[in-house]
Amino acid sequence: MDRASPFARFGREFAESRTALVALIVVLLMIGLALAAPLVAPQDPYDLANLPLMDARRPPGYVGSGGYTHWLGTDAQGRDLLSAILYGLRISLQMGLVAGAIALTLGAALGITAAYLGGRWEAFIMRVVDLQLAFPAILLALVISAMLGQGKLQLIAALAAAQYAYFARTAHGAASAERGKDYVEAAFSTPLPASRVVWRHILPNCLPPLIVVATVQVASAIALEATLSFLGVGLPVTEPSLGMLISNGFQYMLSGRYWISIYPGIALIILIVAINLVGDQIRDQVNPRLKR
Amino acid sequence: MTDAAPLLEVTDLATHFHTRNGVVKAVDGVSFSLKRGEVMGLVGESGSGKSITGFSIIGLIDPPGRVEHGSIKLEGRELVGLPVQDLRAIRGKTISMVFQDPLMTLNPVLTIGAQILLALEAHEKVSAEEGRRRAIAALAQVRIPEPDAKVDFYPHQFSGGMRQRVAIAIALLHRPKLIICDEPTTALDVSIQAEILAEMKELVAELGTALIWISHDLATVASIASKVCVMRYGKIVEAGPVLDVLTKPQHPYTQGLLDSLPSRAEPGQLLARGAGVSDAAPPPRKTAVERHEPKPGVPYFTMELVSKRFQEQPSPLRALLQKLGVAKPPHGVQAVDSVSLTVTRGEALGLVGESGSGKSTLGRMAAGIYAPNAGTVLLDGERVMSAGERPHKTTTRVQTIFQDPFASLNPRMRVSDSIAEGPVTHGIVTKAESAEYVRQWLAAVGLDPAFAERYPHQFSGGQRQRVAIARALAMQPDVVVCDEPVASLDVSIQAQIINLLIRLRSELDLTLIFISHDLSVVRHLCDRVAIMYRGRIVEEGPAGEIYDHPQHDYTKRLLAAVPVLPTA
Repeated sequence: MDRASPFARFGREFAESRTALVALIVVLLMIGLALAAPLVAPQDPYDLANLPLMDARRPPGYVGSGGYTHWLGTDAQGRDLLSAILYGLRISLQMGLVAGAIALTLGAALGITAAYLGGRWEAFIMRVVDLQLAFPAILLALVISAMLGQGKLQLIAALAAAQYAYFARTAHGAASAERGKDYVEAAFSTPLPASRVVWRHILPNCLPPLIVVATVQVASAIALEATLSFLGVGLPVTEPSLGMLISNGFQYMLSGRYWISIYPGIALIILIVAINLVGDQIRDQVNPRLKR
Repeated sequence: MTDAAPLLEVTDLATHFHTRNGVVKAVDGVSFSLKRGEVMGLVGESGSGKSITGFSIIGLIDPPGRVEHGSIKLEGRELVGLPVQDLRAIRGKTISMVFQDPLMTLNPVLTIGAQILLALEAHEKVSAEEGRRRAIAALAQVRIPEPDAKVDFYPHQFSGGMRQRVAIAIALLHRPKLIICDEPTTALDVSIQAEILAEMKELVAELGTALIWISHDLATVASIASKVCVMRYGKIVEAGPVLDVLTKPQHPYTQGLLDSLPSRAEPGQLLARGAGVSDAAPPPRKTAVERHEPKPGVPYFTMELVSKRFQEQPSPLRALLQKLGVAKPPHGVQAVDSVSLTVTRGEALGLVGESGSGKSTLGRMAAGIYAPNAGTVLLDGERVMSAGERPHKTTTRVQTIFQDPFASLNPRMRVSDSIAEGPVTHGIVTKAESAEYVRQWLAAVGLDPAFAERYPHQFSGGQRQRVAIARALAMQPDVVVCDEPVASLDVSIQAQIINLLIRLRSELDLTLIFISHDLSVVRHLCDRVAIMYRGRIVEEGPAGEIYDHPQHDYTKRLLAAVPVLPTA
């Protein structure tokens, strides 16, 4: 008989997939690097006094006036690209995680409330969600961030508003299914207060699909933020995320200085792919139909 | 070949499953032989290897399973190690199989006729017209009325019994020499089971087909088979003619199985010599007993003209169209139709009916899970559920034990939390006392108190049902609604749970409403019986009277359909 808790079993199964394990390590590594950016980055890209213009647009491997090698080259202001990427990662991850967490909380609350209340309220909430899902997330995010203006908080609000609907729909589906199960009926027949049934019984059993959606949505929030910043409606110039780095280097692409855009782009791709791989594995494990 | 030579000879068969957690010896050295036209029953509890024996014979063992050694000889021809295409030529033609759930084995998107045609084409060349003609004949053979119309039906248009008949018709198509039936009537109601049993018996005799009837139910096996093998842990523990095995069992396991059957014991007695009953007493009631002194002149527990209709709420648009006469109201089901019921204090009332009779819905209304559309449920003259737009349960004095212990416990909560949650919320015990309270209850239902910190998935089905019983009784109820609490358990576990219920009922002075499709369990546990049919109670009275002198036609039919064990 298996004595381990469900979480321990989950971890053991997760580790059986080599790809997912590597992806998880990559994600954790990138989060670690982002957190430790001020310690590991060779240069502080925000410190304008430290940016010698003579080092601008140098190719990877160039040894600059600071006496250290720019492994990924420098950008138009003479910034060390590796440092810029590490700091950019910090902002991108921050936006993705915070926006994802807000969207998760909001969406799960709405979805579970709708499933619990039923009737008119359920119909109303879910139709609003459906309506929103009919529009592409990028369009919504563009419109909202154009309305709210530039800034970190505004962008987080725009991302969360564009994404909560996915969580709401998942939570509603899961909660509707759980609501009809015997253990929920048993809780109601005890009787336990409705809030307790929702918090202690329905919510924990809705978490697996929500976690799956959350991983995928964090990745897509990061991509969305990059897109908005690339288009210039996202973060202000003082908060250079990966998207803005790509955008900054874009004008030099055709003049052979590929590295200014390409390396931030590669970092973004690795991050998003790794998060998605982790999400895929969690989904496979959560889905009982794929159980061996 | 002479008639004396066996049709099927299984020698020392072993089928093992190589899983992550080691080798599971599902079938471990099984030997038996079967003559032409002989009907053999293969009996055992879940995990005994009876189904895997059947699958091994027809060659349907998939990895990680493997036939390790032994031989299966059909008319002298060895089947073990036969190439896949040779096996395929035998499967469906010489040996065929009928599974437990025909809803899983019939293809939902093909008509019955198309599926029969496919089964025909697997082994011979037939034209479409010829196939259709034979499909109709096959359906007529298994007593399906209007076969020439039914042949164009889809599986969902048939009832469970009819679907199983179709599955049997397909199995019989090629006049196989052997049919293996794996629990073919387990998912069916008793009356349908009786029909299928009778028809199967006739068909097998008519066609001279040998039959292996795999079942957990000794009584159905007794009514169809001439010989029986009892399996346990992958081995045959006892084999012989049905009458001998069932009346003079030699092996202690067979004796134990028979002792576990409520139909063979006096009503109210502990089964299987009191197996599964612990000595630990449940914790004393905290709420003063005086509080619930019977009120004079008020019936104890009553349901007055309760009705429940399941109907989808029409959307605002649809409601408007309905008013204009354009749209029809959504389809609804009248599950319970004006039922009145009174239970006196300390009584055990059995609620018996087949699937769809509304017994579970009635039970859920009694337990305060569903609010009735009409009528009231009263305990000591007080409503079990509040009135109003959003009715909710207002008493803790009625508790419920559900059928499926795998579904009725929250998989993400430790059992100690599941048990303690209600009593702590309602102030029966304080949070500080709850750990000890849970341990006392676990001991009282015969579980090791050290299991308190486990999750439901770490328990077997019978153990989970004990946890579910502890959870319901820890609320210190006066009335317990039991919705088929033993239906999904093996016979020996079922006996233990029945024993537990008998003992706890008398120790705690409980009033029981016991819902079951199993007439023998109800007779064993209940003082009074109400028979439900299509949402109404058709007959009600003391258990002995109803069983011995049924008045209503439906009750008579129901009682006649129950397979009976031969007695010495």
